[in-house]
Amino acid sequence: MRWWLRRGPTGGRTTMSTGTSGVDLVGDEVARNLARAALFAALTGAFAYVSFPNPVSPAPITLQVLGVFLAGIMLGPAWGGVAMVLYLLAGAVGVPIFAGGSAGIGILFGSTAGYLWSYPITAVLIGVLVHSGLEVRDLRAASTTRLVGAMVAGVVVIYGLGVLGIMAVNDVGFVAAFLAGAAAFIPAEALKIAAALGIVRNERLTAT
Amino acid sequence: MTLTYKPAGTIAHRLDPRSKLGVQIAFAIAAFAHTTLGGLAVLTALGGVLLAVARLPVGRTLWELRFVVVLVTLPVLIEGLTWDTPPFSVAEARGPALASYRVLLIVLVSATYVRSTPIRDSEAAIRWAIPGKAGRLLATGVALVFRFLPVLRADLAATRRAMAARLGSERPLTERMELIAVGGLQRAFGRADRLALAMNARCFAWNPTLPDLRFSRVDLPAFCLTGALLLWAAL
Repeated sequence: MRWWLRRGPTGGRTTMSTGTSGVDLVGDEVARNLARAALFAALTGAFAYVSFPNPVSPAPITLQVLGVFLAGIMLGPAWGGVAMVLYLLAGAVGVPIFAGGSAGIGILFGSTAGYLWSYPITAVLIGVLVHSGLEVRDLRAASTTRLVGAMVAGVVVIYGLGVLGIMAVNDVGFVAAFLAGAAAFIPAEALKIAAALGIVRNERLTAT
Repeated sequence: MTLTYKPAGTIAHRLDPRSKLGVQIAFAIAAFAHTTLGGLAVLTALGGVLLAVARLPVGRTLWELRFVVVLVTLPVLIEGLTWDTPPFSVAEARGPALASYRVLLIVLVSATYVRSTPIRDSEAAIRWAIPGKAGRLLATGVALVFRFLPVLRADLAATRRAMAARLGSERPLTERMELIAVGGLQRAFGRADRLALAMNARCFAWNPTLPDLRFSRVDLPAFCLTGALLLWAAL
């Protein structure tokens, strides 16, 4: 914003006025959505640090994927996708938000590359399926079947691309990639889907 | 987690973020193009030099990246398993081992960028690389993610402590996940709305004054290295 001093109508007295010419303001709606997308990306990163013992497998459960589900469901396909792009970009330039608190552009070429690159795609897909299009609609209108179906599709994309990523990056066959990167983690996804349903229907959040 | 930016006076710290990004990407392309014993030996030596330039000790960096090391090693071990005796085939695991070692090298080299580049520089580099409104949004978004990660982590930890104090850790797993996520989301949305208001109050604009990014003579070796690596990858 440009400030300048101007002679007032009374001659000797000076008054201060502001000018916004030449400043292209972002606007309330975009600023609000950007803030939400950035906070969602940070929350997905913070979820990577929250782990629970897994009742059905030796691999501990982290809530990262829950962040991807919720980005698509709560922010919709467009801003949910932006949130996940921000997540990847922030991790690439050094914010410690990837699994195990790691960061760096190298991780995007690493063993988890397939999973990470799948996050924006999954958030957009879940958003489109839940909101039946690119426009964000009232979540109360989305049936439980639609929500579960969208998240199951999301799990298929995440693990499909994740396993493909391990096969390409580590140069191993499908069985080794599936055993190392998916078998121990997939059962916990059912629990995350159940938790996501509870979150979406939670009264404390429906007002926001 | 100690593998984050630390101020220092190394050559890596003085380099322009764009030339550092160029070296990393060229290093990764070269590593994928030359996944052979000889190629990886050359890249190991180069990686060692790059880590030394950023004064990043290899052992400690590997310890910080232990999660990545496990993820890289596991598929190789599984691929080498056989039903015969001996139960592990080195010949089967050789190719995957080279591929996985290449990943480790790329991740180590990218750690030098993480250690030597403040987020403001990365923000400016993103604005330079992605023109227009998209670049402005992404650069601001990345800066916000960086600033809010510690706050949101503290929010989640506080929710977990409160749950444990009320014997919430005895609840079924899905309920625990739900409670923590709802607590985290509620606070995140509250923070996002206050932040948006504050950004508008401070005239959040599409055309702000850009920070000054300038290449210097220190960047010249980095340009040459990027060019050499890309040329080698193309051969």
